[in-house]
Amino acid sequence: CKKSFIDLAPKSSYSDQNYYQTDAQFGQATTAAYAGLRDVVTTDYLFSEMRSDNTIYQSFLSNRGTAYTDREKLSDFMDPSTDSYTATEWQDLYLVISRANIVISRLKTASGIPDASVKSYDGQCKFLRALMYFKLVRLFGGVPLFLNEVRTPEDAFLPRSSADDVYKQIIADATDAMTELPVPTKFPQTGAATKGAATVLLADVYVTQKRWAEAETLLNSLSTMGYSLNANYSDAFLPANKNNKESLFEVQFLDGTTTGSTPNPLCFHFLPRSKNTSLITTLAIDNTTTGGWNTPTQDLISNYEAGDKRLDASIGVAEGVYDGSNYFTYSAVKSIVGYTTPPSGKTAVPYCKKYEHTPAAITGSADDFPIYRYSEALLLLAEAQNEQGKSPLTALNTVRARAGLAPVTSADQTTLRNTILHERRVELAFENKRWHDLTRTGNALTVMNAFGVKLKTQISYISADSYIVTNDKLLFPLPQAEVGLNTQLTQNPGY
Amino acid sequence: ANVKAQGLNSRINVSVGNENLSSVIKKLESKSNLIFAYDEAYLGLKDIYVKPASFTDEPLDMVLSNVLKYSGIGFKEEAGNILLFKQGSGKITGRVTDETGAPLPGASVKIAGTGTGVVTNNDGGYVLNVPEGTYTVEVTFVGYSKSETKDVKVVANKIATINVSLTGGSLLKEVTVSYGKQRAKEITGSIAELNASSLKDMPVIQFAQQLEGKVAGVSVVQSSGQPGRGIDFRIRGAASFFTDNQPLFVIDGMPITGSINNINPDEIESFSILKDASATALYGSRASNGVILITTRHAKPGAGATVEFNANYGVQVLPGNKVPKVMNGEQFAEFMRERAQDGLLYEKNYSIAADYKAAYLDRDPASYGEGTNWYKLLTRAAPIQNYDVAIQSATEKSSSTAIVSYSDQQGVLINTGTRLFSARINKDVTAVDGKLKVGFNLAPSYRLDHNNRLTTDGVGGLFERIFEASPLIAPFNPDGTYQRNVSSPGMVAYINPLAQFNLTNDDYKTTRILGNGYINYEVVKDLLLKVNVGVDKGGETRNYYQSGIVSSTVNNPTGTSSSVDNGSYTAEGYINYKKTFHHDHNLEILGGYSAQKYSSTSNTLTGLGFPNDDIPYLTAATSVTGNSSYTAYSLLSVIGRINYNYKGKYLLQGAFRNDGSSRFGANSRYGNFPSVSAGWVVSDEKFMERFKDVDLFKIRASYGVTGNNFFSSNYVAQSTTSNYYYDYNNTITQGTTLSNLGNANLQWERSLQLDLGFDLSLLKNRISLTYDYYHKISDHLIQARPLPTSSGFSTVYDNVGKLAFWGHEITINTVNINNRDFKWNSSFNISFDRNIIKSLVSPGYIRRNNTVSSDYFRQQVGHHLGEFYGFIYEGLYKNAADLASSAKYQATATSPNGSSDIGTIKVKDINGDGVIDDVNDRTFIGDPTPTFTGGFTNHFTYKRFDLNIHTSFSVGGQILNAAKWAYQTNMDGSRVPLAAALDHWRSIDDPGSGIYPRTKTGTTAIGREVNSQWLENGSYFAIKNISLGYTLPFKNNFAFKSLRVYGSVQQAFVFTGYSGMNPEISLSGQDPTQGIGVDENGYPVPRTFSIGVSASLK
Repeated sequence: CKKSFIDLAPKSSYSDQNYYQTDAQFGQATTAAYAGLRDVVTTDYLFSEMRSDNTIYQSFLSNRGTAYTDREKLSDFMDPSTDSYTATEWQDLYLVISRANIVISRLKTASGIPDASVKSYDGQCKFLRALMYFKLVRLFGGVPLFLNEVRTPEDAFLPRSSADDVYKQIIADATDAMTELPVPTKFPQTGAATKGAATVLLADVYVTQKRWAEAETLLNSLSTMGYSLNANYSDAFLPANKNNKESLFEVQFLDGTTTGSTPNPLCFHFLPRSKNTSLITTLAIDNTTTGGWNTPTQDLISNYEAGDKRLDASIGVAEGVYDGSNYFTYSAVKSIVGYTTPPSGKTAVPYCKKYEHTPAAITGSADDFPIYRYSEALLLLAEAQNEQGKSPLTALNTVRARAGLAPVTSADQTTLRNTILHERRVELAFENKRWHDLTRTGNALTVMNAFGVKLKTQISYISADSYIVTNDKLLFPLPQAEVGLNTQLTQNPGY
Repeated sequence: ANVKAQGLNSRINVSVGNENLSSVIKKLESKSNLIFAYDEAYLGLKDIYVKPASFTDEPLDMVLSNVLKYSGIGFKEEAGNILLFKQGSGKITGRVTDETGAPLPGASVKIAGTGTGVVTNNDGGYVLNVPEGTYTVEVTFVGYSKSETKDVKVVANKIATINVSLTGGSLLKEVTVSYGKQRAKEITGSIAELNASSLKDMPVIQFAQQLEGKVAGVSVVQSSGQPGRGIDFRIRGAASFFTDNQPLFVIDGMPITGSINNINPDEIESFSILKDASATALYGSRASNGVILITTRHAKPGAGATVEFNANYGVQVLPGNKVPKVMNGEQFAEFMRERAQDGLLYEKNYSIAADYKAAYLDRDPASYGEGTNWYKLLTRAAPIQNYDVAIQSATEKSSSTAIVSYSDQQGVLINTGTRLFSARINKDVTAVDGKLKVGFNLAPSYRLDHNNRLTTDGVGGLFERIFEASPLIAPFNPDGTYQRNVSSPGMVAYINPLAQFNLTNDDYKTTRILGNGYINYEVVKDLLLKVNVGVDKGGETRNYYQSGIVSSTVNNPTGTSSSVDNGSYTAEGYINYKKTFHHDHNLEILGGYSAQKYSSTSNTLTGLGFPNDDIPYLTAATSVTGNSSYTAYSLLSVIGRINYNYKGKYLLQGAFRNDGSSRFGANSRYGNFPSVSAGWVVSDEKFMERFKDVDLFKIRASYGVTGNNFFSSNYVAQSTTSNYYYDYNNTITQGTTLSNLGNANLQWERSLQLDLGFDLSLLKNRISLTYDYYHKISDHLIQARPLPTSSGFSTVYDNVGKLAFWGHEITINTVNINNRDFKWNSSFNISFDRNIIKSLVSPGYIRRNNTVSSDYFRQQVGHHLGEFYGFIYEGLYKNAADLASSAKYQATATSPNGSSDIGTIKVKDINGDGVIDDVNDRTFIGDPTPTFTGGFTNHFTYKRFDLNIHTSFSVGGQILNAAKWAYQTNMDGSRVPLAAALDHWRSIDDPGSGIYPRTKTGTTAIGREVNSQWLENGSYFAIKNISLGYTLPFKNNFAFKSLRVYGSVQQAFVFTGYSGMNPEISLSGQDPTQGIGVDENGYPVPRTFSIGVSASLK
């Protein structure tokens, strides 16, 4: 026998020795990085919406399993470092980074890949990496900064970098992506990252860093790339209308059971848990283990101005009865507009409608999940202009006009600052923006503590210990498992 | 010449060449000048040739004796003439037995110096026809000392009876060792041999069950009662974190690569269990968990033809006393009523849903009565049966064995079971004057598993489901259809377990062929060339269908069709040189080469969208998805061994193996596995002669290195890719990238093992004692090492640490009584095994997982394997003062009581900061490692009755009873608790039993987090098997040679303080990656009553 007898490579998959050789393989590796975004958005609402005053959860006292309590604690500001969803969020974000790093690292040494492809893959992966680090740095502060492919066990252990260094890297990556990626050539777009996506991401980063002028310049450039608002607010969320001219970047889902289609399960997560949700989903879905999350708060609902078309497009009301096991039996679905009180003996539960289009199979719907829409770019522009003392009214009123609302006329910077923040809240509800808006504007402590006090008077199952929001709570803890494993990591204060 | 009356005394000189007797006699006539009277034709003198010889001045009778030897011709002097006549012949008969009087079939009986000889028959009897004369009868049998009986006089037409009892069986008996056989006396390693015939009365489908408690240092436990499954082996402790801890199984010399479940116990003749490094070293990289050599039944040369028939029928019954006693209907309704009453009393804003109120508050709990007893509905007394026929025939040169068997074991959980059809043909032929030996073994089997591999065990497994279903709900709707949802108000949703068992169909059909062929050829004297080629071929199909009534998403029937085709081949060639120099120096050298390759191709199709349950095949599915894959590994090895002994008294052995494995990193693919051992048979020394009662006293020492490459994944050293799809604007696009991190430096896990031992036999081998001490260091331990997930990977296979194991093993076999009618033998073994974790990669420990509720144990430097980890239980908070002065769970400044209150579970504040939290207040709380384990077997025979009682025991290890505490004492009302929990805390004045806390909302979570209350003493003494047999007397029956009937009880009694169902349990057996001694709802092990018959036909 020869030595080759024991030299066996896998045949039903590639190994790192024989993959990453061709243009097509780098394309597939880039696609694999996008695939990780889906996991991110199916967890992120716990951190970016339920942590805020936009949404809460439905009571599930009959089951105190950690799958439920760990999610409730995030909403209640009672999450310990051992919370399993914190670990999930962290891992999901870093998985996309890791896949992007593989492409970015290997492109440097690959040969025979056309320049146009190298730019495209490098640009897309840097966009994804920047997007993920932007989420990480806002949720956790300075984090380990992985920029190269992990090839050995030793490579996997890094200390935290400073938040400044993370931001510097995000800006560098987003800038590279802007340079390397093309503008959309047609609408609907392909769904891959574009120059427009990189531009709005970088502008968002600048706004967060209060670098208003740089943000304004970038945001102004978007209208030249062909983006504009849809006629109707709700059009942006229709599965039939994906990647349209209003879409800067969205996470793609596809329903059905064909290999490779990945349905969006959030349509079940965001409804009251029930043995049969067919009144809303048409298909009979049992979401008793998955549902009950991201329920719109009364605070959010009352934040919509009268006549705001976005209310009906975003929120619905399910009427029914909760049984002793906290399962909901639907009896009717109503519009939120003008809704006051449920009939006697019934409970009314508002729910997020944005991702609630009828699924083709019980595994989930075809709803994409928006990351950046053009209306947000307009609101970011308005904010950047207002903060520089310029008038934001053109951008702001473009968004309001579509919602069927009268233009704002104020010229007072402070008033406008609040108006813009409010406008962002209702325009971008359930799009994982609210918590970051509250923290970056410095409003989180005031808003959330006040919200908590009010909420406890409205909802009996909210614990008295909840919503005690301190400065420490503005960052989430690093996952305990991560800190336990990597002795170089220091935990955030207060955890 | 001087002719005298004593003509035969006359001396002559004569030479004879290669000539016939006629010419020789004529020569003698002329030399001696005597008259020879004979009838040349009658005596056939021309046809008898003599050997060349020359005689100088020898008396004639001596010359004649020589030339006529063995010719059947006698001579005598009559009236001065020499008369030649045809000698009459006589017979030598007798019986050959061992020391205990048991017949030895197949022993060789020879007349010394002649070619005459036979082999004893089944009863040890023999008959030799020989001419008149005086002979020496030699009897030999493998493994026994040679017997010589001199001066046996044979007279024509008479029978001489020579009964021979051979001795030294246990000392000289040959034992199967790695790559050959060796005399027991000359073995220097730690090897235990077990004859399967003593295990026959245990009606089992897996041979492993028969080995439980039989061999010191070998722990075999049945952790699950799934028919035909759930057995785990450990030889000298668990050597590894991640790699498989099962020993290597070698059947008739061929290492097998697949499951051992298809091996029918009826085919097995004996087991050799190799424990120390010197015994296992020739299996190198696969040997560190020990090796079990299985020898199948081969007919003994010369034993003639036999037909044996065995039949066994049994009934398996679950012992009732350990079944968890969950609440019945009335009790559960009462419990739920009390929860609501307490909620209204103690909690503000407590609200009660309408259905809850109607079910428990508006209705008298007593009206529910017993309710549904799901356990009764889902369990049954289940039959087990085995039948086999063995046909054997053997001459001196050829031996054939054919065995056909059928086994059927139904599960004690309804609608589960397994059936096994198997056959084996073993054929051996000797040719070319015994220089060539060829043979083959072929063993096809076919196995049907019905619902036998459903997840019955563990968290969320079907067995747990039985205890979760509400007793208040009937399994069927009034129209006779299944009720899907069996949770009452307040409970979590549960699917009807009766429907789950009955409406799920999961059939596996496994075909397996084990085959090997060998050629042994004596190239020149003492040098044997051996070539072995073996295959282990398997194929398995699975057909799964689950009705939409019980599918996890309602009305979503799922079907799966999958198949696996796997196989391995092993080719080995080696030479064996064996020679004795200068009479006392015995040398044996073995050298060879071995190559093995395994590959497997599998595919799975999953169907969804079945319109109804009518057609449970994928043809009815509206959507089918699938995939297929291939995997392989190979091993290339060089082996060598030298055995030397001086007078069989001073023994030395050196062995070496070099393995190259495809599984390891390119940088570390080859491993060397050397071993040395020595023995000294002290009892053979002169100075021992005065100790007449000592038959054998041998001391042994060995040291060696072995490896471990058992893990299921073949490419962990390489980074490999997976597919991840994305849908660009509804266009499904396949993405592919690395999914696991490889490790090119991954190297062998190895064990360095020292063994010191002695063997002592006393009083004509009536007492024999074996003692071993071992010390084993396992380093470069392979583990799926957790990585920071920020790397994009969660684990990498890496060499993470070092373990030490040590222990003492004692085996005592005694013949207590050995009368003609009454015999009593005992066998006792005990082992004391210890381990400690010597080193681990940063941070120095590995958790089971990252939760608080199932992070059952932690592997940590300085601790034993699998030590339990959790909170320390301190009872319930008794009153306000107790609560005020104790630390509370998750207390904060704004909520000083956290989620604790009077009547909730109190745990120890380990870091003393006044707050109980998950990170700082958990610690090591218990140890699963037993102090000692062992077995005790007694065998009695009285006349024709025989009685066998086999027991096993384990003392000192703890069990973490997660099944009970994490689930069955859940106070949330979400599932049915133990009836005992009805006596829970309700007020300071009514604290109940003090064990079960209050039901206050938000305070019950800590009850599901591991605490020391979950630990129980896992000691047990189990009467594993009692069997009573009677052998019917047959003298001249037309059909039967012998017939034995017997009855047996298996798993007869288990004496234990453990409150769970099976003290031998742990979810994944003793796999330390899953947890040693963790009880998570294993499928219970039934008690089996059976009757059987074994017959030997004429």
